[in-house]
Amino acid sequence: MSERPGTRASVVAVAAVLAGSLATCRQPPVEPKPCPQPGAAPFAAGRRAAVLPDSEPSPFDSAFAAAGREFGVPAPLLKAIGWVETRWHMVEGAEEFPGRAPAFGVMALRGGELERGATLAGVTVEAARHEPAANIGAAAALLSAYAAEAGIDRSRVEAWAGVAARFSGIELAEGRAAYGRQVQRALMAARAVAAVSECPEPAPGGAPDYASAVWRPSPNFDTRPADSTGAIHAVIIHTCETNYASCWSWLVNPVSRVSAHYAVSEDGAEISQLVGEPNRAWHIAALYECGLNRRHDCRLNGVQSNHFTVGVEHAGFASQDSFPDTQIDASAALVCDITRDRAIPRDWQHILGHGQLQPANRTDPGPNWPWVPYLHRIQSHCGEVVVDDDAAFNDPQAAAVAAPAGWLVSDSTPDYYGPGYRWAPTRPDAADSVVFSFRVDQPGPRTVDARWTGGPNRSPRAVYVVIDAAGNTLATVQADQTVGGGAWHTLGTWVFPAGWSRVVLLRRDTQGFVVIADAVRARKT
Amino acid sequence: MSPLDLARALAVLLTLGGCTEDRGARHAPAASATGSAPGATGMPQDTAVPFQAPTTAVDRPRPRGSPGVLRQVSAEAHRGYDRVVFEFSGDSIPGYHVEYADRPARECGSGQVVRVSSPGRMLVRFDPAQAHDESGNPTAVERARALTLPAVKQLTLICDFEGQVEWVLGLAAPSRYRVLEMTGPPRLAVDVATP
Repeated sequence: MSERPGTRASVVAVAAVLAGSLATCRQPPVEPKPCPQPGAAPFAAGRRAAVLPDSEPSPFDSAFAAAGREFGVPAPLLKAIGWVETRWHMVEGAEEFPGRAPAFGVMALRGGELERGATLAGVTVEAARHEPAANIGAAAALLSAYAAEAGIDRSRVEAWAGVAARFSGIELAEGRAAYGRQVQRALMAARAVAAVSECPEPAPGGAPDYASAVWRPSPNFDTRPADSTGAIHAVIIHTCETNYASCWSWLVNPVSRVSAHYAVSEDGAEISQLVGEPNRAWHIAALYECGLNRRHDCRLNGVQSNHFTVGVEHAGFASQDSFPDTQIDASAALVCDITRDRAIPRDWQHILGHGQLQPANRTDPGPNWPWVPYLHRIQSHCGEVVVDDDAAFNDPQAAAVAAPAGWLVSDSTPDYYGPGYRWAPTRPDAADSVVFSFRVDQPGPRTVDARWTGGPNRSPRAVYVVIDAAGNTLATVQADQTVGGGAWHTLGTWVFPAGWSRVVLLRRDTQGFVVIADAVRARKT
Repeated sequence: MSPLDLARALAVLLTLGGCTEDRGARHAPAASATGSAPGATGMPQDTAVPFQAPTTAVDRPRPRGSPGVLRQVSAEAHRGYDRVVFEFSGDSIPGYHVEYADRPARECGSGQVVRVSSPGRMLVRFDPAQAHDESGNPTAVERARALTLPAVKQLTLICDFEGQVEWVLGLAAPSRYRVLEMTGPPRLAVDVATP
């Protein structure tokens, strides 16, 4: 084969494409960023491609590779176009419509394009019609000519989208875009196969942690510290300040040097996972400052917040008046999954806004993010109801609290649920108890937990009485509130009938202690 | 002629002429600002906008809207100062915030500290803004540059995320500076006094 102008460049280009594949070996790529198309709308982020082309080697792989080398066109692109055009079959087209020349060969070349490609490739028109290598060569030569005319950077496979669109011969913008998507999907499959074959032992984590997420791996991550600062501890809620496709496609671009673990579409119909949860995504610049988080976990002060957080982006803007319920619900289901898998408490110190931890220059997800119902939705997806001592933090459909005036509000000891807690001194004659009520829809077993803030002056025998909806006292449980503050403690598991059951916290005891009423939780077991 | 128009005229001149090599000749102080030809009156209107102390921050928030897309960043030496120009597509520049940093600059995604070897660190932040398109491709802006100007030694993009674009400027010293808005195309110029 003679050396042609551009051959050297083509080797470099293909090498660059391969290098790109190799670089992602630590996690098998499945779906890289979409091809941009100048002047066209961004590729719609469709649901996970319903039909991906056969990932088996094509019958024409050697011809794709040879033509790619010869004309400086990525061989995977040729292969992808061949799939989209003919499903890798040598066709001999008929004239389907008057004026539309019949298509020939794997690459479905037609009319003047076929002739031009044949001339450029130095093969006869007859060979370009009927011989696979000549047909693929003519197509490659044609693509190469288009690329030269467009002045694209051949080393970037994304830059070929416009060239492929021109090759399609489709006039209509929407049609070109659809064609581009098909090529893109075929290309993704081809690259995935190539990358997997080059990575004999792919590292675990090449699939989404969240089963229904579309796995679009971003190169923008590193490892969490091995010490306690790298223990996954909180979820950070973001808004992208753009639409879904634009959001995730930027986060997977190595140039951006930003990412998140997840991105949730506007309507919640699709979630992309970009970085595996065990890895450190790049979504928050702030160093942790516990003063911004109810004085929780001050041991982490000064720690880079990416170390211990999972980042969830949401298509949309911090300035939005509201967020679609479907998006909130999809996000809540996702965060339930993250917190369950990573043992993250579902409370106000562990599910946080980006702007809360980075107020100097961030506000997302903004003032209208529905924090209280959002947390309830997360809890509901995880099968639990939390009753706080502050009614404003309860879901009125499922939780209610009655706190007598003798119980004083405080937030001086950190690690409470909600905005604070209530406390009252023990008294032998006290009859004013705090009543935490929760509604059970489907009768069955529930495990009941209680939470308090710890301290040496707490009661070592605070009394919780568990009463079901029928008025039956199921149990009386004593808890030592001097220890274990800021965590849930199981009171027991009982079978509850449908309706409102309650947990009554007493302060009747010999004087000298305080009883802490913070929150009660009922969860399916 | 308003200061803005004059600034714009000056910018046109700079764009056309360049001045890194022979700025003395092109930008000799002119006696008056009344000439109609932009090229004749480069300096005087510039001196009308005073330089401010390094301790002063400039904050010009803009209502949320579609983000300004950063198209180009250029830097040139002038007599007495270096000018960094941020050029945006669209009709106007986004909101901006300029200040000297008292802490290390960090990439806004990774949190990684960005090395700035010169003594002055100035942050220039735009909001809402981006330096990439809707398909996730970066605009042609060079994201990290080392310079050999008298005042400006380094330009590094540290943030292009969630509708914010932020740069750190490495400066020979934390000098006095000023900020000028320009139109056609919309630009923000940051002038840093030569030490």
